[in-house]
Amino acid sequence: MEIEEILAFLQRFNPFRDLPAEVLGRISRQIEIRYFRTGTTIIEADEDNAHFNIVRSGAVELRIGGTELSHRLGEGLCFGYPSLLRGSRTRNQVIALEDSLIYRLGKQDFLALHEKHPVFRDFFQADETQRLRKAVESLRNARDGNGGHPMLAVPVRDLLRRKSVTFGSPQMTIGECAGLMAEADVSTLPICENTRLVGIVTDKDLRRRALARQMPHDRPISDIMTADPITLPEREQALSAKLIMSRHNIHHLPVVGDTDAIIGVLSANDLLTRLGMNALHVVAEISEAVSPEAVAQAAQKLDQVIVYLVDSGVDADHLARFVSAIGEAAHKRLLQLAEAELGPPPVPYALVVFGSLARQEQAGGSDQDNGFVLDDSYDPDAHGAYFAQLAQRLCDGLNSAGYVYCPGDIMATNDRWRQPLSVWKKCYRDWIDNPDPDNILNTTIFFDMRAIAGASELVADLRSEVLQWSSANRIFLSFVGRAAAKTRVPLGFFRNFLLEHDEQEGDVLDLKHQAIAPIIDIGRVHALAADLEQVSTVERLQKAADTPHLSESGAADLLDCFEFVRDTRFRHQARQIRAGQKPTSNLDPKTLSGFEREHLKDAFKVIKTHLDSISRSHAGGIS
Amino acid sequence: MKLSAPRWLTQGLWQRRWNQAREQSAGTPLEAYYSNTLPDPDHLVDDIEIIALDFESDGLGTDAALLEAGWTGMNSRAIDLSTAHRERIAALDPLQEVAVTVHRITDSAAAEGRPEREVLDELTGILSGKVLLAHFARIEAGFLNAACYRQYGTPFVGQYICTMELEERWFPAPRTADGLRLGKLRAQYGLPQYRAHDGLTDAIACGELFLAQIARRGSPNLKLQDVVMGA
Repeated sequence: MEIEEILAFLQRFNPFRDLPAEVLGRISRQIEIRYFRTGTTIIEADEDNAHFNIVRSGAVELRIGGTELSHRLGEGLCFGYPSLLRGSRTRNQVIALEDSLIYRLGKQDFLALHEKHPVFRDFFQADETQRLRKAVESLRNARDGNGGHPMLAVPVRDLLRRKSVTFGSPQMTIGECAGLMAEADVSTLPICENTRLVGIVTDKDLRRRALARQMPHDRPISDIMTADPITLPEREQALSAKLIMSRHNIHHLPVVGDTDAIIGVLSANDLLTRLGMNALHVVAEISEAVSPEAVAQAAQKLDQVIVYLVDSGVDADHLARFVSAIGEAAHKRLLQLAEAELGPPPVPYALVVFGSLARQEQAGGSDQDNGFVLDDSYDPDAHGAYFAQLAQRLCDGLNSAGYVYCPGDIMATNDRWRQPLSVWKKCYRDWIDNPDPDNILNTTIFFDMRAIAGASELVADLRSEVLQWSSANRIFLSFVGRAAAKTRVPLGFFRNFLLEHDEQEGDVLDLKHQAIAPIIDIGRVHALAADLEQVSTVERLQKAADTPHLSESGAADLLDCFEFVRDTRFRHQARQIRAGQKPTSNLDPKTLSGFEREHLKDAFKVIKTHLDSISRSHAGGIS
Repeated sequence: MKLSAPRWLTQGLWQRRWNQAREQSAGTPLEAYYSNTLPDPDHLVDDIEIIALDFESDGLGTDAALLEAGWTGMNSRAIDLSTAHRERIAALDPLQEVAVTVHRITDSAAAEGRPEREVLDELTGILSGKVLLAHFARIEAGFLNAACYRQYGTPFVGQYICTMELEERWFPAPRTADGLRLGKLRAQYGLPQYRAHDGLTDAIACGELFLAQIARRGSPNLKLQDVVMGA
């Protein structure tokens, strides 16, 4: 016999709702009910624990051992299980924040459920990094499965329109292949040895490499095909196809099966049809804009793109890259339009961007951070006016397009950031050789740089020297490490935001500065220390993994964290945009779901651990 | 109404009733119950085994038919749901309309129940050496006593803790007419609202209220005589 009232309660909460009713019925009879008055201790830290606990009513506070963190749990949330899973003493103290009714399950009953039911096991992980990983996965699954617009989450094989594929062999002549393409009415012909893909030929190749060069039609196709083309495994998601196409500027992508056998050719149009309005449309619209006003108008659609991509189940990393692609397009187009009016640049120069756009991590509401790196042949008297005007048009145009003026004046309109290469080098040299502890946080943004227009070799030159200098200078690294470690995970704030009762009006959680920036800092410190050329945080962490300073698992944890907090921000921004507000990184803690609160707690803990670790390994000046 | 400390202690009235009932119980299923000695009034409450009990009936008088019995074992700190029971009792008479409205138990549902005798055998079988707990326990005491007379021809004498009485005694306060109802009191202690009115849910609800009262009282070393209902 089950206990109805308890069964009905359990069915309202994860992971119990996923267990069969008869199992819940059994659990309902294994429960022991306890009551704790406000302020009393439910679980003492560093003691043996024999019970798994569920908050039936009221609220409890977990005081997380060894940290200033605390965590508030309300109705339906569970505690006291990590010690049962580890078979060790408790780490956290648990106190009743309100008069609380608690359901308890004996250790053996809990472990039996854990053993028997995967949903239960997945939900109750002893370790917060594992919980975080599960959280990221379940977010993705929830969105893929919730009937939103899971278009980007479909495997590419489902997007192929043709059921059979026409392909040639390397021994065929150019003429034979052209005939085959005409007959099958395809613009792209995969070339296969048996069924293994070895090359690809397009209409364009036939035009440019054969006809225009008057190449005899009986030459083998291998003379003009693109050998070893980029391919996409059939199981890859449409999103990957999209990114590969935009990154390599190709419109046809051969899709291959397990043994590299050709399955079909995916065209950009196939994808576009599938997606309807999408980020790349906006990029294209910006790239074709005829005036700064038109750029601004097209860039306004960024907000809708964010909503659309969030709904499509796109993960935060890809989302940020799409958002960055739009930002990048706006920069490029505005510069082209300005050059068209002002005339070609008198000396070579590069537009360099810093911060989130350099890292391809833009979100909604980003400001602009840019500068010009001028060729050393620059003569201020002769060329100064040109570049000043160019900068003015760029920065004004960006501001109108929604990339507001940089509050710290890191813009090409600032004389300091519109300088010849040699001056930039001197500037970096000075930051690195004479680090100023008060100023170091203001300069770190310059260490995330990327050329997005003009003579990119100028920036490449600058970057490689900067990396050499910084990785060799332990004092500098120690300053950067120390500055990063000072970035405070919002511990004090966290307590407030979890304690709803104490919450001050106007309290906000600043996801950008309190959750995302610390991870970026960690990535940057590792990149600078290990002389890594990668600029994006994800790539930096991947590359830094398994170095003496960052373990493989540490990097994986940070990557999960980064994905989770950015995902939280994008979903928050999508909500804001829907509500007709400007997207920001500040959110009212009250709007966080229980799921988000729970896992932000885990994320903060991981971040804190790594900031401490950085501080230990670099702050002493020993790298 | 202000209730004084339990009078049965000094008057010996209760003990006389117990002795009398024990003699009458010879040869009935209650013999086992009476053969056990009762917890001493000086016993610490924390050490006492308690059964939270609630009957659903078609009336409030001693002649009311019992429709359902719900109970669970507990002590002053925890309710042990592995001991929880909910027993439907087969109706003897057609139900009064009121009871149907109040308890949502219909004739046909009640007819599926077990005979009163069986349910009573099972309940009294576990009561030996234990103290009963109910909200407005006089009603439950009356029901149980009447049922034992009906089935065994023997009265039921037991020790009861009444959460309504405890509330008035421990935390006197001006209240509205219905201020001592189970749901109202539970809400004051931050206890959840239940769908109410099946025997087991009410028994558990009352047990939870008792846990909350003990926690609020906060005095260590409470003795049975401090909580038990006056005769």
